[in-house]
Amino acid sequence: MVRLYLANDTSSRAAGAGRLADAWSERPEIQLIRTSSRGAFFLEPMVERDMLNGREAWFNVSPNDLPRIVAGVGGTPVAEIPFLQQQTRFTFANFGITEPLAIDEYQTGGGLKGLAAAQGLSPEAIVEELRLSRLRGRGGAAFPVWKKWQVAQQARAEQKYVVANADEGDAGTYCDRMIMEGDPFRLIEGMLICARAIGATRGFIYCRYEYPAAAQTMRFAIQKAREADLLDCDDDPFDLEVVVGAGSYVCGEETALLESLEGRRGVVLAKPPYPAESGLYGKPTVVSNVLTFATIPNILANGGAWHASLGTEGSCGTMALQLGGRVKQPGLVEVPFGLTLRDVLDRFGGGMIPGSRFKAVQVGGPLGSLFPESQLDMPICYDAFAKAGAILGHGGIVVYDDQTDMVELARHFMAFTADESCGKCTPCRVGSVRGREILERIQRGQGTAEDLILLADLGETMKATSLCALGGRAPYPVLTAMEHFPDEFRNKLSAFSRQQ
Amino acid sequence: MRTQYGTRLAEALESCRPVPPDKPNILKTLLAVQAGLGYVPTSDLPQIAQVLGVTDAQVAGVLSYYSDLRTQPSSRHLIRVCRGESCTANHGLRVLLAIQDHVCVAVGGSTQAERFTVEQMSCAGNCAVSPTVIVDDEMYGRVVPSQVAALLERYE
Repeated sequence: MVRLYLANDTSSRAAGAGRLADAWSERPEIQLIRTSSRGAFFLEPMVERDMLNGREAWFNVSPNDLPRIVAGVGGTPVAEIPFLQQQTRFTFANFGITEPLAIDEYQTGGGLKGLAAAQGLSPEAIVEELRLSRLRGRGGAAFPVWKKWQVAQQARAEQKYVVANADEGDAGTYCDRMIMEGDPFRLIEGMLICARAIGATRGFIYCRYEYPAAAQTMRFAIQKAREADLLDCDDDPFDLEVVVGAGSYVCGEETALLESLEGRRGVVLAKPPYPAESGLYGKPTVVSNVLTFATIPNILANGGAWHASLGTEGSCGTMALQLGGRVKQPGLVEVPFGLTLRDVLDRFGGGMIPGSRFKAVQVGGPLGSLFPESQLDMPICYDAFAKAGAILGHGGIVVYDDQTDMVELARHFMAFTADESCGKCTPCRVGSVRGREILERIQRGQGTAEDLILLADLGETMKATSLCALGGRAPYPVLTAMEHFPDEFRNKLSAFSRQQ
Repeated sequence: MRTQYGTRLAEALESCRPVPPDKPNILKTLLAVQAGLGYVPTSDLPQIAQVLGVTDAQVAGVLSYYSDLRTQPSSRHLIRVCRGESCTANHGLRVLLAIQDHVCVAVGGSTQAERFTVEQMSCAGNCAVSPTVIVDDEMYGRVVPSQVAALLERYE
């Protein structure tokens, strides 16, 4: 009997992995092992098997390919797939190899070493290790993780909380979903280390409604971790629970997330107080992104200095970039910070889908700036992006081709913000609606040159006065579209206005 | 029918009845009601509020805030088309139009005989296999307009 490995994550199934599993369910000659996905989604459904020199893979498999695979004909050694070979996988090292819910496989792959190391350290020493690591939050705000933990650690309270932000709403991002579906114990381990560092006995994973498989995998993983006696904080039981949201983008903002976790409308609150001082039910709470927690086990296992040695000076470690849009090879790319956008798009993205030409790339989700061809030499790190007024966000990279209508795209972004604004602050609540209206007027051919000035002015006001990043960042894709593709906006103005 | 409905509502509410020191959680309760009934009937707001010990207005506020809480039953099959950026770049709009044409209903609407409800959704996180269409619990990736008819045929 031949053992075959087939990914079982949502995207692999959407690409056809589920149909393969159904078609082959009664075949006696094979045993199908369902693993996480390697993240090379352009090759999915991908089937692997053990050969003399390690795993070999068959790409874009259809049910009729089974005889070929069983005969061992036509496979490619996984180690020779350029998309994977050129990556530096730490957080995603297990992907495609292990079964997500097999805790023994997680351990064989180096899992739980970080937790063991943390258990040998004082809470202060854990935070010190994080300070040395120079890890910054991966959710988008890039705040130094150790500072958050230190505030929560020093706060005096009878109850503290650890909350994983799994409300991965940025369009173009999917690495948190992959972690929860593919390596759930890594998230749990990261949260347990945090719990020990700050003295928390309860944790929540706030998972978005759109990720049912991730929520279910996490629930199973928590159950398994509990059975393995892993869920404790300094000999007190650590209670960990998955809570599902209900489709609100702004709940990815930490104060809105905590409001939602308490069951209320997910409305943003003014800071301070910061959640680390006064968060869930008014108690000290560390809220961090799933990818941030998943990065922590390796830091504790290998030391903060190890992490600080990767990447660039201000951006240490690796980043999980998520390629999507019109590139030939969309998928997950974990690399140290510092590569340029062009490197990533060429080496990993493999260039454009045949027949389409590059127009712009958006980095950092629906609040991220658009970059034209001329800016592709920008290094991927927090400092370079901040200097250019852009954000790396959660690492989503979406490539648009020359068929993209930039005015429609700008309208799409403003409409998105108008839909998702929590309504707490006026610049975002009203500004996004007015912005959408102006862009709709331009689309109808009724816009004037003043409308473009008004839109730019509105964007600056929203940037300067919004309460959170939704209103504050929403103008960026719109303004960068206007900056880099001014003709498209001008050509849509009313005939009268164009003559002037 | 009505009794079965009542039982399901009661069960959902019972599972979320706050046990001190835990505070009532409106969102969790509404999601439990929706899981049991398929939607949250606004006529049951007072009962929900009473079990939780909160006001009707607080429940109504939460219900209207979250886009995935529905106050109307959907058809037998719910079609959701992703409106995320990667799907947009990969011509997801063409897929949406093909679906609308095929089932003869616009976004937000339900077809005759309550077979399909069509909705747009925010990013499904399937960006590397876009454009994405979800029918009920089944996700389809790399969907092209010409596949739409065959894809929907499976759902009666």
